[in-house]
Amino acid sequence: MKRLLTIAAAVGVAMSVGTVADAADRTVKIAGFGAMSGVVRSFGINTEAVLRAAAKAINDAGGVKLADGSMAPIEVSFDDDRCNAEEGISVVRRLASGDAVVGVGPTCSNVAEPLFGILQAKAGDEGDSGLQFPIFTDTAIKGGLAKISEWAFRNVPNESQMYKSLFEWLATQHPDAKSVYGGVEEDFAHSRFTWYKVMKTRSADAGYEVKGESKWLLNDTNFTTQVREMKRAGADIISISAHPFTTCGVLKEMARQRVKYKVLVGLTSSSSLETLNGCAKQAEGIIIPTSFAPVNPDAVAAADAAAALGGSADLHSAAAWEIMMILKDVIEAAGIQATADSVQADRRAIRDGLASLKTTKGLLGEIQRTAEGEAVKPYVYVHAADGSWAVLHDPNA
Amino acid sequence: MSDFWWDVIDPVQSVLDGMMFGSIYALIGIGFTLIFGVMHRINLAYAAASIGGAYASLAAFQLLSAPAIVVFLCAAAASGVIGYLVYICCFRFIPTVMPLATLMASVGMLILIDEVVVHATAGMPEPYPAMFDDVMIDLDPFWVRGDLLMIFALSVVAMLILLYVLYRTRLGIATRAVAQQPSAAQLCGIGQERTNAATFVITGTLGGLAGAMVGASVGILSPLLALPLTVKGLIVTVIGGLGSIPGAIVAGILVGGFENVFQYFRGVTERDIYVMLLLFVFLTFRPQGLFGRISSRD
Repeated sequence: MKRLLTIAAAVGVAMSVGTVADAADRTVKIAGFGAMSGVVRSFGINTEAVLRAAAKAINDAGGVKLADGSMAPIEVSFDDDRCNAEEGISVVRRLASGDAVVGVGPTCSNVAEPLFGILQAKAGDEGDSGLQFPIFTDTAIKGGLAKISEWAFRNVPNESQMYKSLFEWLATQHPDAKSVYGGVEEDFAHSRFTWYKVMKTRSADAGYEVKGESKWLLNDTNFTTQVREMKRAGADIISISAHPFTTCGVLKEMARQRVKYKVLVGLTSSSSLETLNGCAKQAEGIIIPTSFAPVNPDAVAAADAAAALGGSADLHSAAAWEIMMILKDVIEAAGIQATADSVQADRRAIRDGLASLKTTKGLLGEIQRTAEGEAVKPYVYVHAADGSWAVLHDPNA
Repeated sequence: MSDFWWDVIDPVQSVLDGMMFGSIYALIGIGFTLIFGVMHRINLAYAAASIGGAYASLAAFQLLSAPAIVVFLCAAAASGVIGYLVYICCFRFIPTVMPLATLMASVGMLILIDEVVVHATAGMPEPYPAMFDDVMIDLDPFWVRGDLLMIFALSVVAMLILLYVLYRTRLGIATRAVAQQPSAAQLCGIGQERTNAATFVITGTLGGLAGAMVGASVGILSPLLALPLTVKGLIVTVIGGLGSIPGAIVAGILVGGFENVFQYFRGVTERDIYVMLLLFVFLTFRPQGLFGRISSRD
């Protein structure tokens, strides 16, 4: 009997060791992708650093609980889509044929839009052969893209709401300012969308007279004509919807031509190091709404963790941190297996889990989730002061 | 001032600004045309090498806090070195009977230089020093940007030095001899490969200055600059006449001016359409450009 018990104990120990070994072998594979080459490379670098930093934080705390109660670490990979639609689609097709359970990306809206188009539009539609691979987007910010597919989710700020709130707030802070003039990078999807569909309409809604807009292209170098138009309009508020390179070019030209204004507003994406690196002096005072600023211990910790891995947490990349934390909660609630045989079932469980979310935790506070897979994130207004970004106003405070 | 007068003044001012900026296009055009003149090859990596040189000169600015003029000279020197490397990698060892191979090699080099810059800087715009960037010369009702005027003057000086080198030095004679009659030049003892290499270094130096001028005029450098400068340089070369240095100078200034006129009247989204139409008009009705010759060498 004693011998039998010893054998039984040995078998039990062996089986438990086997189970532990199985759990240790299992990893939850999350595939990041974004621009790691070309002029938007810094976005990809930051996203990758933040994803890896968040995964490290989760793994250091024990990892993710799987369906059988065991803990598995998160493994992050990162692919370059070169901010190119064909490349992005190719990357995601490859990822979908592998064992990653979810994709995080892309950087560019011109990649996200066609990419979401190759996903199955309606989850469970057997007549639709689109990819059944959940994508959670951190950076591509052009409005309303997640509704293209039920497998697409985004954790990007709602610019429409942010600028509505900003212009309403400016009306109270600068009652003498009556008019707005825009500057728009005409050939960049995000900049164009934000001026014509967001800044222009939201400033008019807030009671401002919109006096028009000057247009330029992403790789323009000469802004004299556009800034002269701006100067001639004589508006109280100049609202620039452009990325750092041309924003800086225009701000420098505005300084040369001594354009007078009461308030300067910038594009969400310009609340980054790039703008300060390129033209801190001319950008002084520019006000930008952003969904990330290191204003509380969690946000500071996330920023520090990203910096330790060579990245910078800004409104885009910090969303990747939130995504990782959301995915951890969803994976644990959905109870995935993380085995080679369960990949498709795990993806479906994660998709369903993401789709059922109504709120999630964010670095600046609670994030609302819409039925279309979009986020409504808390935000603050920052301004460039003495060569760095400082919080000017917190609408939630 | 009434709106009517603004409507008159604005286009004139736009043309003036464009022509000043066009001096940079002229510098790039000269590089393309000189290499074409000497080797009958197009070096598509030329503008990228110019921007690469400007980026290299940032080290002098960021590490040594060197004054702007020193940074510009560093850009010229660095770009001269890159020009030589481009020659070695893309032209020196590829047989002259394979023009497509050199063309594709230079396209590859363009992409390579661009990606090296992107990887070194993570694509971040880098501030670039300028001279007289806060000076505005008021010629009521017109005004001239101090930095653009300086760029214009510097470009003119660089072009004059180049013309001096080409027409008053032994190197210039050798360069022109190889451009006109390579076989005869070789028979006279002129080293064709050495002359070609010297041409790449000279044009590279000029290109580095152009890259620095672009950085100075915008106040920042971005890898985004290489491709549009390549396109503008080629347009200037064709309109000026392949192989013609005076043609490149005139065409550069013309393209800069026309670009701003088109932008003023038709908007930024249509601007490049009209610039391209201008190119097609030249290709169709005056394929030799403003100053080029139809006759071929040898």
